[in-house]
Amino acid sequence: MLECREITKIYGRKKAVDAVSFQIEPGRIYAMLGPNGSGKTTLMKMAAGLVKPNTGGFFYNNEPVGPKSRREIAYMSTEPYFYAWMTAQDVGKYYEDFFEDFSMEQYQKLLQRMELTPDMKTKSLSSGMMAKLKIAVTMARDAKIYMLDEPLNGIDLLARDEIMRSILEASDPDKALIVSSHLVDELEKVVDVAIFVKEGHLAGMYDVEELRIRQGKSVADVYREIYGHGGEQTC
Amino acid sequence: MLKLMKYEFRKTMFSKAILLIITAISEVVFLIGLFFNWGNGLGIGTLGLAMCAMIGIFYIGVESLLVFHRDLNTKQSYMLFLTPKNSYQVLGAKVLENGISIFVTGLFFAALAALDASLAILYLGGLKEFLDMLGQLLTNIQVNINITPGSAFMMFMTVLTSWLLMVVMGYLAIILSATVLAGKRYSGIISFVLYLILGWASGMILDKLPVYGDENMQLVVTICGSLVIIAVMYAAAGWIMERKLSV
Repeated sequence: MLECREITKIYGRKKAVDAVSFQIEPGRIYAMLGPNGSGKTTLMKMAAGLVKPNTGGFFYNNEPVGPKSRREIAYMSTEPYFYAWMTAQDVGKYYEDFFEDFSMEQYQKLLQRMELTPDMKTKSLSSGMMAKLKIAVTMARDAKIYMLDEPLNGIDLLARDEIMRSILEASDPDKALIVSSHLVDELEKVVDVAIFVKEGHLAGMYDVEELRIRQGKSVADVYREIYGHGGEQTC
Repeated sequence: MLKLMKYEFRKTMFSKAILLIITAISEVVFLIGLFFNWGNGLGIGTLGLAMCAMIGIFYIGVESLLVFHRDLNTKQSYMLFLTPKNSYQVLGAKVLENGISIFVTGLFFAALAALDASLAILYLGGLKEFLDMLGQLLTNIQVNINITPGSAFMMFMTVLTSWLLMVVMGYLAIILSATVLAGKRYSGIISFVLYLILGWASGMILDKLPVYGDENMQLVVTICGSLVIIAVMYAAAGWIMERKLSV
């Protein structure tokens, strides 16, 4: 479905992502885990076609990602990106204008669930409200792949539950979800696969269920092994 | 493409509204001056309208470049680059919207000038003078009837290619700067320097074109040369945006 082939991205002298390869399959929820600066956001932005790799690439159904793949891949950036003049209604209209898979009805429902109103100006939203708006507009698409970069950042506990509920509702045998976060415990409950990124390298990709049954470990345990003391080794 | 153009227009709507408000104020001052025989008002209104027309049209052109610079150097770029539109469509929408805006603004000010001039002549000079003036105008048109459709077309093409060259050159300079500097400080100044360099290079290329004795032939060659440069710059800008630009 979505394949990352030997991708490398260099900013100045720093390798943000270094020869990373993995595959995303439909019907699964992926957690992309790692501390700040590990390369998660760069990887997601390359998958969305926003950042261009130096070598390698992301391929969606065997074609390089680009305008065509953006019809089926919904990406939610961690930073706010809406035009300052927009209201929540304008944001929905914008998505409706450009994405065939966008449902205004679903968007209105999600806005209501997130306790947002269509007349709210994006420039006056708090960071938590902005995060909810980004989730609502992204999840109102009927995409094949959803990539959510830090969707739980700056969100209170109750709103987190709503966001997790929206994410789970989108899961489907034909769709894949990739969620990046620092909040390992939150994600552990819902994800099928955990991808660990460390200093631009792929530090591991584990089936969460298998990890629990065969090795008796949780995602949090592996996270501690990789990033905690003695976790310098990468594979 | 139309949807992209709609949002391009929306981004510059505020400044266009300001231009319209200042124009309306100048028009009101002009009309008060005209109808109440207030000489200063007439002068200020006329000056205001002339400034609005000249600065307004110039600013609409410049603002298109400013908006593009902001589009590439802030997170708002995601609004453009997350859509399933390729870079050539994004650029095309910007060029078309800007061209249409300038053309419509030009037409608007020309119509307003014609209306105000007619009113002034009618009101200040009386109907007889107005009809005389109209007659004079018709005579002038008769005299200048040697402006053939062909030469009018050439003039239009000259203005069109000059404007297109400026805008596309500006876009390419901004894309080059954004690709190399990735939103760092001074990217605006670097874009301007690149714009000057590209302008100089285009001038050098156009100077190398063959020289003809016939003025019309020379214009055709210059227009064709400019169109080739525009096409190359547009293709280069789109290619860099599609393959190299990270936002």
